[in-house]
Amino acid sequence: MSTETNRIAIKDGLFAGPLDDLADVHLCGSKCAACGETGLGSLDACPNCGSADLSPVALGNRGTLYTYTIVRHRPPGNYRGPAEFKPFGLGLVEVDGVLRIMAPLLPTIDDLRIGMPLRLHPYVLRTDENGAEVIAFAYGAMGE
Amino acid sequence: MNVSNVYIIGSGYHSFGRFDKSYQQIGSEAAAAALSDAGVEWRDIQAAYMARMYLPATSGARILRCLGATDISVIDIEAACASGGAALLQGMMAIRAGDADLVLVAGTEKMPRGFMDPSMIYSPWQIELGMSMNPAYWSMRAMRHMHEYGTTHEQIAMVAHKNHLNSVHNPMAMYQKEFSMEQILNSPLVCDPIRLLEICAPNDGAAAVILASERKVRELGAKGIRVAAVAHTISRYSSDFRCPAETMSATMDNLGPSEVTAARAYEAAGIGVDEIDCFEVQDTDAFCEIEIYEELGLCGVGEGGRLVQDGQTRIGGATPVNMSGGLISKGEPVGASHLGQIVELVAQLRGTCGPRQVEGAKTALGHVLGAGGNCAITILQK
Ligand SMILES: [Zn+2]
Repeated sequence: MSTETNRIAIKDGLFAGPLDDLADVHLCGSKCAACGETGLGSLDACPNCGSADLSPVALGNRGTLYTYTIVRHRPPGNYRGPAEFKPFGLGLVEVDGVLRIMAPLLPTIDDLRIGMPLRLHPYVLRTDENGAEVIAFAYGAMGE
Repeated sequence: MNVSNVYIIGSGYHSFGRFDKSYQQIGSEAAAAALSDAGVEWRDIQAAYMARMYLPATSGARILRCLGATDISVIDIEAACASGGAALLQGMMAIRAGDADLVLVAGTEKMPRGFMDPSMIYSPWQIELGMSMNPAYWSMRAMRHMHEYGTTHEQIAMVAHKNHLNSVHNPMAMYQKEFSMEQILNSPLVCDPIRLLEICAPNDGAAAVILASERKVRELGAKGIRVAAVAHTISRYSSDFRCPAETMSATMDNLGPSEVTAARAYEAAGIGVDEIDCFEVQDTDAFCEIEIYEELGLCGVGEGGRLVQDGQTRIGGATPVNMSGGLISKGEPVGASHLGQIVELVAQLRGTCGPRQVEGAKTALGHVLGAGGNCAITILQK
């Protein structure tokens, strides 16, 4: 009898390894043997050169804020943020010197600064219609 | 390569704005205006290309049937914000191939009201996490530019101020209204640092041109504006952070889509940026125009803010940009926006722009850029 939590990634192939211990979850990258570029998630083809010669890599959980914005109005469509909208940061977080990943930012909007160190924060976004917990990610300040 | 000349012998438009009219009415009015301006009949047109993004399949045929059901080829073209450039390219090639002497190229859009359905562009997970705001992408570019080059909020607002001021005399524009710097800088933030009066709104509109071969121009005794170049590209890998991108490379430094497309257009036209008298460019947001100054070569990298601050891109400046008021004033009916720029540039080269005329304009450039890094540049010469 399994005691594993039933968890799935918000996007197939987004995370490396099991999702049981969220403190140990990493984003997955796909490193291309042909051109050396790394794409986000488990990919079938390199986004730069199209090669299928890709290896999965666990991306580091630390990053720095390359640029950001503050979203001041509720995004359209099926946005899953707080029921009462609060302006939030969105940024490009540079990871391992290879990739800048667009992500929601957890720090208070007034604290956001280009160059600030950040840490990956995987979390349970919602429970889907099959009872599985859907895991999403954001980046928080180092202490968060 | 020896290629034959292609000319614009007529142009027309339906104002950009929000109308209680069908897209067929809006599009066919623009086409009829272009035909009338060219002094040719719809039954004389041998092929037609209709740029549109948010309209249903076979919109071109449904629009142009309003002018009479002829048996020519009518093709819908979609390349996001660059749809009009892609359509113009097809029309030019049909004439250069010797397949037609008289072609209609039009763009029509009728945008859905309110926020556009984000699932047309974004993946479900991006929408759930709040990454489905187009201005967020533009704003992140602006924030980085401010960080690297010291571009200021005031310089970004100056673009919006200039374009709104230019629109006052343009009947095509949705907003023909001047706003003060204070009003712009006090308008609400949409996505920092971009404010409400610094972004363009999707709307309805149409624009059309009639293209003719050299032989046809002679036969008609028409005075054409030469299409010196049309280039359309999609961006190189990781060269352009624009929706719905999920990531950027931290190692690659590829040329941006406007740089690549401009280089191709300048080469095809056999001219440099110094020989171009006026410009209409994609000002989806006010910062975007600053970046495009740099990418087209109007100034060096990082100097775009200074260029607008020094008044160089005003009418009367050394390199006037968005004399029409730009998309910030006209709105952006996506399929029609580039042909709307062409209508303005044809009028500039004919010298019929009245208060917004660039004196002595002989060469003009139109530029659009949007989703997927779709970019198109057209160069026209008197
Ligand atoms: Zn590769």
